[in-house]
Amino acid sequence: MATVIGRLLGLAFLLCFGTGLYSHFLQQPLPWMVFPTRPAGLYQLTQGTHIVAGIACFPLLLAKLYVVFPQLFRYPPVTSFAGFLERASIALFVGASLVEITIGLLNTYQWYPFPFPFRQVHFALSFVIIGSLLVHIGVKLPLIAAHWRAGPRVPDEPRPVGSALAGSATEGLPRTRGLTGRLLSYIDATPTVPARTSRRGFLTTVALGVTAVVGLTAGQTFAPLDAANLFGPRKKGVGQQGVPVNRTSAQAKVATSAMAADWVLTVAVGDTERSFSRAELAALPQTDADLPIACVEGWSQMASWRGVRLRDLIDEAGGSTDSDLRLISLEQRGGFRQTEMGSEYVRDPLTLVALELNGEVLDLEHGYPARMIAPGRPGVLQTKWLSRIEAIDA
Amino acid sequence: MMTTEPSVAAPSQRMRVARFALIAVGILGLGLGAFVLFDTVALRRLPGVVLWIGAAIVLHDAVISPLVFGLGVLTRRAGHRLTGGIIVTVQAVIVVGSLMTLIVVPAIWAQGLGPKNPTILTQDYAVNLGLFWLALAVVGGAVSVWLYLRTRRANQRPSLTQS
Repeated sequence: MATVIGRLLGLAFLLCFGTGLYSHFLQQPLPWMVFPTRPAGLYQLTQGTHIVAGIACFPLLLAKLYVVFPQLFRYPPVTSFAGFLERASIALFVGASLVEITIGLLNTYQWYPFPFPFRQVHFALSFVIIGSLLVHIGVKLPLIAAHWRAGPRVPDEPRPVGSALAGSATEGLPRTRGLTGRLLSYIDATPTVPARTSRRGFLTTVALGVTAVVGLTAGQTFAPLDAANLFGPRKKGVGQQGVPVNRTSAQAKVATSAMAADWVLTVAVGDTERSFSRAELAALPQTDADLPIACVEGWSQMASWRGVRLRDLIDEAGGSTDSDLRLISLEQRGGFRQTEMGSEYVRDPLTLVALELNGEVLDLEHGYPARMIAPGRPGVLQTKWLSRIEAIDA
Repeated sequence: MMTTEPSVAAPSQRMRVARFALIAVGILGLGLGAFVLFDTVALRRLPGVVLWIGAAIVLHDAVISPLVFGLGVLTRRAGHRLTGGIIVTVQAVIVVGSLMTLIVVPAIWAQGLGPKNPTILTQDYAVNLGLFWLALAVVGGAVSVWLYLRTRRANQRPSLTQS
């Protein structure tokens, strides 16, 4: 049983780890990295999976801990130095996993009641978790291999839980006196449910738990489940122009500069700079694209964008679509005020400097006067309130 | 709570290599995690991380586990005249409901504090949680009644092995 739940939990953790790394490197790429720009909803899928698998970890992790609970009271608790290290690695795994999924959940609604930065700790703990998980699997490998080879087995009769709880206390004469003794005999006298029923019931409960927490929240990213989205922090279609917002103009303190009549978008290539007013951008050939905005917090929203193809704009300014770009927002501060875009996105015909959203002039909350929208990138890199685009010399 | 140790075969060479590799890569991962933590998080923030990990262990081992264990004992006691299926159904209702509560209550709390922008936490989570419990109770009740009637019918049917 521990292995069955463990396998599912391991799968969920690996899904989270893989999609998490993908998201991390999209935001902080190593110099040699190139990313696929298609399918356009790729990041929507990977990050949606990250959050869904993360939520599924709640029932799976708790179920796994429930199954192995009696081992907590193993007696004697430590028999060797290696055994001590193993128990320590499990304690670290349990503590780190619980913290990881909890802060991940809180981050989906931007609530940070913990005394440390989210992004860095969430990233670092993922290595701690995977590391201690591998150590744990290494230690338990003979057991796991035996389980795989064993084939179907008759479910085991459960031992009275009191015996595991009591440890040495049940050796010798049964203790029935005193508070502990009475409690233990009360527990031992509790009728047991037949093993088959209990096992089936347990697995059904875990399956129901996973289905409930995933099914009732995943609608914030997977459209077919939208009607069942009772508990997702975001709801599709809720927000200005039918699109939710991650960072508002008030948070970014851009309301004045973005609404200024003399706003221009400056494109710098080498030593030459060219500035475009909003009217000049609107006079260039316009392209329509249906692209999702997919947030690192796990929600996503399909939307229709209209604007200037980025590669056309770079051509117009005399640049080459082979160079990477630096995108700078009107925001004065914030981690994503200035970001970089690989040339694979610059070349893509779906990458737009968007001026309109869902048939209307871009709302201030969605990046008026102009924002970036590219296929397959996290929302934080779809720079709003664009101010300056610079070609980075190769 | 049914962990047993299947008989373990004598360790083969391959098994030893695999175990060594897993444990070595695992320790590398732990080291990398520690490095990233020290490298990217301010030193004065680290006690907070340790505190939260420790608190999570205590919260699980000293609060959640005993509660779940006690729940198991109490439901089996209270339902000792009933068939096992009904007890398990009631337990499932309580466990799934509590799980959802565990996940949704922080959202309700954060909603009370005021989300950072009006497109976050837009739903009435408290009402939805109430409805969820109600639906669970209705379904659990229906399944219990069905199991009860099935068992009673089976008990009333004349046994084939008699006479």
